[in-house]
Amino acid sequence: MEDRYISLAHGNGGRFMRELIKEVFAAHLANPCLDTRLDAVTLPWDNRQLVMSTDGFTVQPLEFPGGDIGSLAVHGTCNDLAVAGAIPVFLTLNAFIEEGFDLEVLDRLIASLARTAREMEVDVVAGDTKVLPRGQGGGLYLATTGVGRLDPRARLSLDGLQEGDRLLVSGPVGDHGIAVMLAREQFGLSGSLRSDAASVLPFTRILLDLPGLRFMRDPTRGGLVTVCHELCHASGLAVHLNEAAIPVREQVISVCQMLGYDPYYLACEGRVVAVLDESDADQALERWRDLPGGEEAALIGTLKSGKPRVHLETRIGGSRLLEELEDDPLPRIC
Amino acid sequence: MSERARRLLDAIRAIDLPRKVKIMNVCGGHERTISHAGLRGVLPPGIEMIPGPGCPVCICPEEDVYEAIQLALHEPVTLVAFGDMLRVPVNVPRSQPRSLEQARAAGGDIRPIATPMEAVRIAREQPDRQVVFFAAGFETTIAPVAAMLAEGVPDNLLVLLSGRLTWPAVALLLESGTPGFDALIAPGHVATVMGPEEWEFVADKHGIPVAVAGFESESMLAAMHSVLRQFRDGTPKLENCYPSVVRPGGNPIARDILKRVLNVVDANWRGIGTITGSGFALSPEYHAHDARLQLPSYQDAARKRVGQMPPGCDCASVVLGKIYPNECRLFGNPCVPRRPIGPCMVSDEGACRIWWSSGLRENKAEDRPPRAEAG
Repeated sequence: MEDRYISLAHGNGGRFMRELIKEVFAAHLANPCLDTRLDAVTLPWDNRQLVMSTDGFTVQPLEFPGGDIGSLAVHGTCNDLAVAGAIPVFLTLNAFIEEGFDLEVLDRLIASLARTAREMEVDVVAGDTKVLPRGQGGGLYLATTGVGRLDPRARLSLDGLQEGDRLLVSGPVGDHGIAVMLAREQFGLSGSLRSDAASVLPFTRILLDLPGLRFMRDPTRGGLVTVCHELCHASGLAVHLNEAAIPVREQVISVCQMLGYDPYYLACEGRVVAVLDESDADQALERWRDLPGGEEAALIGTLKSGKPRVHLETRIGGSRLLEELEDDPLPRIC
Repeated sequence: MSERARRLLDAIRAIDLPRKVKIMNVCGGHERTISHAGLRGVLPPGIEMIPGPGCPVCICPEEDVYEAIQLALHEPVTLVAFGDMLRVPVNVPRSQPRSLEQARAAGGDIRPIATPMEAVRIAREQPDRQVVFFAAGFETTIAPVAAMLAEGVPDNLLVLLSGRLTWPAVALLLESGTPGFDALIAPGHVATVMGPEEWEFVADKHGIPVAVAGFESESMLAAMHSVLRQFRDGTPKLENCYPSVVRPGGNPIARDILKRVLNVVDANWRGIGTITGSGFALSPEYHAHDARLQLPSYQDAARKRVGQMPPGCDCASVVLGKIYPNECRLFGNPCVPRRPIGPCMVSDEGACRIWWSSGLRENKAEDRPPRAEAG
């Protein structure tokens, strides 16, 4: 890592964050359980059924169409457990509150968190509260740690990826990133777009019995492209994405065109990318499309031999590389 | 691919061209569409697409950025600027802040904004403090700035204007005798404001095919098809391939406001030099809001010189379409979006930045043909 100071780009999910984690955190904390490539880890107890994950939430604004920091704090951590093939069971909660924060807003956000936890059938079993002096926080930050039970059918690993495997996405990408950005009203833009923030558990559970299911990941920070790069790093294979097949809403495309963003790098908070053996891909797609919210699921790409790069086959038949995210023009979105 | 795009692409491939054709696009938005759609890869080999001078951040002269930095550092003002101006580097010793972003880290009160309305809002929120709006851009950006002034702004809002007109840069290339292109794709959004007629001189005076295009692949392909047909038939003329948005005469209200609030003056383009009639200045009626007149202490005549690029930086040649971004010796090493050396690697409108972000990262400076010398 050539940097001397932390910049926002060290938190965007892309190359700089990967380097930071590898060279600082993993370097000091390495142990047999820690796999910094994964969203959640299996602990060596209880017949390896115990899965654990943790996540922090700094989204601005705290409330946005389709969710708020409270619901996000449940979905974010539970989704990390879900894509690892687990059923979320317990959560812990840390709240970092800025001095002067409106108690009524806090109550509303924590009520939303509680409602989301009930919907997902998880209990918040421990917590901690800190108040920071005025000016030292964005009003409210949350952190949750989740514990889940591994579904015995789950056989997920980054190590089994093979040439010819297919990539699926469970719905349109980029809604969350753009919805949060519009909610900031920073660019004089507004719109009716809602965040996709939701539980992905129905989508992950329904694929677990397929023998060809290799790996799942929710494309949060850094979006779809970042997940694809993780697949490249792990497999040494190339990812070929078909632009015409990737679902992106019209409104997301328009905002991206206006502000110069690429929708494939935008965060989602309720989507899953799954990698499956070709023989199970169509079956998986059918199952996802039958689920509420899965109508726009699509087969979007293939793992192929070649240099570990992400290729986008464009609508007009051209091709370009989607490089690892470097810059971070976007506001904090999770 | 849409049916229309497919038809246009087939039609382009079917055109029997007498020789290799170089098409220049004026706008960063065009270049973005071309690079992100991978258009170069699907065109017949005899058609070359060259990015042109359409990046306002890239051509904003160093002295203007320097002045903005100095104002923010040494005057009790809040400086607001469009976000992509914050990282534009100026070529000063490393001991000094080299960009507005670094000046902010050094304590300057500098805030990124996205619209002129935000500048007005910030000025209203702090009536006892001067707010300097560093407004750099082409016609499309400057028209809203003019409208802001015409509507009336708080007394404490000053404008440090660095506005430019696009067509004079193309005229400069054409009049140089070695324009380096055979056909032109003119900027759709500028034509929306100023009217497509501004570009008639390209065909009428210089005999170069020209078409106005928007930023969708289909509009770009339609414009390419138009200029290639014109080229083959030897019938150069202006065609509007963005008729849904671009109307004859442009936007009369916006043009009227521009005329009332601003004067057209000679202006310096970074790395290129002074181009006659290519800049905007506040008209006398608005001199009370002209930062250069109200805060004149940081206009340094010594900085107003041609060729103010950092050593080795070929941004000026990239802007003029003389070389491709990856033919610059610094492209990718050490010049990258995180640590830009030249302005073309900063903005989303800059050709270097667009190529880098669309995955074109291999440096080809070694293979650069002799034509690469800047004009």
